[in-house]
Amino acid sequence: MTDHAPVLLVEGLSVRRGEQLAVEQVSFQLARETDTALVGPNGAGKSSLVGALLGLHPRASGTVQILGHPLGPTGELPRSVRAEIAYLPQSLALQGRFPLTVGEFVGFGADAPGLSLAWLGNRRRTEAVLRALKRTGCQDLAERRLSELSGGQLKRVLLAFCVVRPRQLLVLDEAQAGLDAPSSEQFQQLLLELRRQEGWTVLQVSHDLEMVRRSCDQVLCLNRRLRCSGAPDHALSPARLAELYGPNVVPYRHHHAGVPGHG
Amino acid sequence: MPGFLAMADAAGLLEVLGQPFMQRALLGGLLTGALGGLLGSFAVLRQLSFFSDALGHSALLGISLGILLGVNPTLVLIPFAVLFALLVNQLVARSGLPADALLNIVYSTSLAFAVVALNLVETYRGGIQQLLFGDILGISWSDLTVIAVLFLGALAYLAFSLRAQVLLTLNSDLAGAFGVGANRHRLIFIVLLAVVVAVSIKAVGVLLISAFVVIPACGGRLVSRHFPLYALASATLGGGCALLGLLGSGLTNLPSGPCVVIVQFAGFLLALLVSQQTSRSPAVAVPVRPQIPGAGPVDPESR
Repeated sequence: MTDHAPVLLVEGLSVRRGEQLAVEQVSFQLARETDTALVGPNGAGKSSLVGALLGLHPRASGTVQILGHPLGPTGELPRSVRAEIAYLPQSLALQGRFPLTVGEFVGFGADAPGLSLAWLGNRRRTEAVLRALKRTGCQDLAERRLSELSGGQLKRVLLAFCVVRPRQLLVLDEAQAGLDAPSSEQFQQLLLELRRQEGWTVLQVSHDLEMVRRSCDQVLCLNRRLRCSGAPDHALSPARLAELYGPNVVPYRHHHAGVPGHG
Repeated sequence: MPGFLAMADAAGLLEVLGQPFMQRALLGGLLTGALGGLLGSFAVLRQLSFFSDALGHSALLGISLGILLGVNPTLVLIPFAVLFALLVNQLVARSGLPADALLNIVYSTSLAFAVVALNLVETYRGGIQQLLFGDILGISWSDLTVIAVLFLGALAYLAFSLRAQVLLTLNSDLAGAFGVGANRHRLIFIVLLAVVVAVSIKAVGVLLISAFVVIPACGGRLVSRHFPLYALASATLGGGCALLGLLGSGLTNLPSGPCVVIVQFAGFLLALLVSQQTSRSPAVAVPVRPQIPGAGPVDPESR
């Protein structure tokens, strides 16, 4: 794969959820080391689209290529390509006293996919985990149970899970949901920093249009079909937002002092 | 001295331990108890506790069919348990109804058929207590071989798929994106759990089988924060309590199932005590404020 080839290439993708098409005839591509936001109202098909791209939901039609490799009909990808993808979900199903420490969880991300004894002590893995925790500001959390973390801490630990091993494509599904404004801002700042260091290509589902406007290179506006796409100033213009969300949406810009890139 | 305690002395203990049937029972109890604890450590986190309970009750139908057909019930029980697991899995996938409601439908119906079938078998009425509360003293060498093979198989599968199982428990999309075959692992685990429940019924009976899976896992969870230690603690608690419970059963002539479950409950209380002592200890690390490199101070969030 050349450096100019897209990391993700989607052509004519439709996804069926139950009886209906949740996503219809969507085409787009992600250039290397860019940050793309997927926005749209609730029920627009964003999570279905992400699920289909990761091979979690079957496709009704269309093709998906990740790092030049076609995604199989039921989500098959070569293990070497799968190893290049990181996914950051909205939340984890953590019951009280979940017997898993932060260090153990991040260690699970250190080995490539496949059956392995990923829980056994291993010097290379331990060092990788410590580095990842340090880079995400979680070094003091290593021995804490995952279920003891706050929302903001958990998101940073999930980023540590992604950064513990080199990856090329990072997909975030409303990763900032449930965070208060300062925590969300800190998370976005950390993500930006790691993206630059790691050379990640990012696709993030988000409802925070102001963050999208500030941080992303490209916006995909989805409401079952792709309604518009392009640079944030173009795709998030008041007229296009009204078309996407309805006429009553009022574009709102909030301001945080000292946030890089904020204007 | 009450009759059931008549043998509960050192001489009685030695006499009981010298019996080959008791040795087989203890070994079988140790292995099935450890298996129940090991599988339970995953099942409880995956919220499959009710599955083992429902399977235990439904197993009575498998046993009844074995008796009606004149086949050794143990031989019928394993395929029956596997069929039960596959049926429930399909029902959950196809109906879209909650798993607990479907389990309730399947196990109530199975139990109803089982009671009808047992009523048709005049000669078996007297042995119903062994089915309900366990009779591990009847365990044979071939039963032990099946249990040992199952134990080794489960241990190997869980050791190699531990990461996949934990990720699946935390978030199935996260696991899928990581390349974990979610459906395949889910199915293998449910079938494995069904088989373990089936072979454990001889030790603990159909009524108390879920305790075999749930209590050691909850005890293990109270005293461990690392996943491998949690699985090990649950298996140890399951095996150890089964051993002690069966010894008690052998010495007192009480049914094996209730004896094991009472010892398991004592083990759970002990784990609770230990966990409370540990959480009071000042040696537990209190995390300091995390710092994000290049960012300002972080708010001291706490849930």
